[in-house]
Amino acid sequence: MFEIIEGWLQRPNYITFVLLFLWGIYIMVTRYNLVKKLIGMYLVQTSVIFFLVTTSAKQGATVPILLSTTDVIQPETYTNPLPHVLTLTAIVVGVATLGVSLALADAIYKKYGSLDEEEILKRLE
Amino acid sequence: MSRHLPAILFLLPLFTAISLPLIGLKYSAWCRLLAYLALFLMIPVSIANLVYVLQNGPIRYAFGGWAPPMGIEWVADGLASVIMVALSVLALVCFIFGESMIALQLGTRMVYLYTLILLLVAGLTGMVFAGDLFNLFVFLEVAALCGYALVGVAGGKALVSAFRYLILGTFGASLYLLGVSFLYAVTGTLNMEDLTHRLPQVMTSKAVAVGVLFMFLGLGIKMALIPLHGWLPDAYTHAPDSITPFLASMVTKVALYGWIRIMFWVLGAKTVLYQIPVLQLVGTLGCVAAVVGAALALSQREVKRMFAFGGLSHIGIILVGISVGNQTGFAGGVFYLLNDAVMQAGLFFFAGVAMYRYQVFTIEDLVQLHGRPSWLVGSLIVIAMSMIGIPPTGGFFGKWYIILGAIEAENYMAIGAVLAATLLTMGYFIKVFERVFRDSTPRPEPHQGELSSPLRGSLVGVSVMIIVLGVVSDPIVRFLIDTTIPAGF
Repeated sequence: MFEIIEGWLQRPNYITFVLLFLWGIYIMVTRYNLVKKLIGMYLVQTSVIFFLVTTSAKQGATVPILLSTTDVIQPETYTNPLPHVLTLTAIVVGVATLGVSLALADAIYKKYGSLDEEEILKRLE
Repeated sequence: MSRHLPAILFLLPLFTAISLPLIGLKYSAWCRLLAYLALFLMIPVSIANLVYVLQNGPIRYAFGGWAPPMGIEWVADGLASVIMVALSVLALVCFIFGESMIALQLGTRMVYLYTLILLLVAGLTGMVFAGDLFNLFVFLEVAALCGYALVGVAGGKALVSAFRYLILGTFGASLYLLGVSFLYAVTGTLNMEDLTHRLPQVMTSKAVAVGVLFMFLGLGIKMALIPLHGWLPDAYTHAPDSITPFLASMVTKVALYGWIRIMFWVLGAKTVLYQIPVLQLVGTLGCVAAVVGAALALSQREVKRMFAFGGLSHIGIILVGISVGNQTGFAGGVFYLLNDAVMQAGLFFFAGVAMYRYQVFTIEDLVQLHGRPSWLVGSLIVIAMSMIGIPPTGGFFGKWYIILGAIEAENYMAIGAVLAATLLTMGYFIKVFERVFRDSTPRPEPHQGELSSPLRGSLVGVSVMIIVLGVVSDPIVRFLIDTTIPAGF
């Protein structure tokens, strides 16, 4: 038991990811305000992006640019750039989603005069 | 030149989509023509692509000339090319229908609608050809974003449905991305071909099992597999009549295709994760979806909602077909996927025309259709025959090959599920026809003038397509067995 917890504490980034992810789902499920739902959704997206980026983290490593062409290349001194690149694309996708969702929320507010889901559903009847 | 066909297929709708708002600033009359032209050109190009692939083997297109697995690669193999031909034909038919329908509903702002539809088609094309897990995610989101916007485009109730679709769809995409990052963390590659070589060594890893599970959940939300279908009925019911065929016939099917790609080309058909054979798990879920979807459809009052649940049941049947684990079943599943895309388009064409012209919203309103033009009722009969699975329509032969495959695999649960879904489907179409053919009291006259010929043409065209798919089903299925079967059967 103790070893398991110790093992978990070795990976604070994964714990952070799990907390953020679950927190986002919790907000999405329990809040009735549409904008708060969006915040939860964005938290879920961001937590996944965070997870992706932390998989490339390495202690004492730096950006993957060769500083000298004559030295022997040591892989452990460079971080993996690919997750960062993927993250960038995922962020762009997330921003686009946020844009569309805010536009929808705005249109809903103009139409129904409220952002509260229960109230909107009541008016839909 | 021919090697670039997959990229051309993608760039054609993409560039048209991007340039339309600019052209629309000054020459908005041209936009309609250009959109038609782009979608029409996609058909010969996709057929040329299919022919080239059949003659010369799969095209592996390395973008920017950077060789995979470092660079991004697109793969146009037999299955992808066949799906692409179906996609481009359906895109044009749905566009002919939707465009003439929505001009009546929306009026202005048409240029942006063309842009959204073309972007949707471009995104789906990208999903079909993607040879890289992350690329699939990006195109999944491109297509989904256009889907959200298209559902909400007419305002009203659809806005709330679009919002729910967006929340659930984005959650699904996040789950998929999470699964991809698990696989990347274990194997260090995103290229599908490369993954097939690297995955077998790490199959016992928990991260692979969890990653595959997350990817399945994410794509399951996108393809609206039954317990994960929460967004679909509302979105289909409230979306503008002109948009629903696009969503119903293409978006969920291409997400399903994405899962086929991962299950057979990345994992392999015989994958067992923690004593659970993936195929068997997916097949069981498909059985549940097939029966539950049809049963839920039986209990709906609104016509469009009923058809939406019918589509959910068909997603289950396709999954049953591809996962019985032999060539007949797989080809049957793919054939049923093609058929279902055509049937769903036809069903929602019908629902759109009935709703717009005869104010048919619920099952009770269907009495309005009694004695209406024969092309409308006739195409409903053809589509219903195919949905139920009565020869000589395509739906029958799809189910036939799926059941043949299931018998070959001695998978009696699959046979039972397909038969039960068939009976339930018959049940709700009996409800429909009982109303349509009942002699009713005098009806109010339809409030609009003559229906435009594109509406009629696309509905009749789809019905003819269903019959043709049924009549030539044997060569098509043999062709599918020759060209689309993944390795490992």
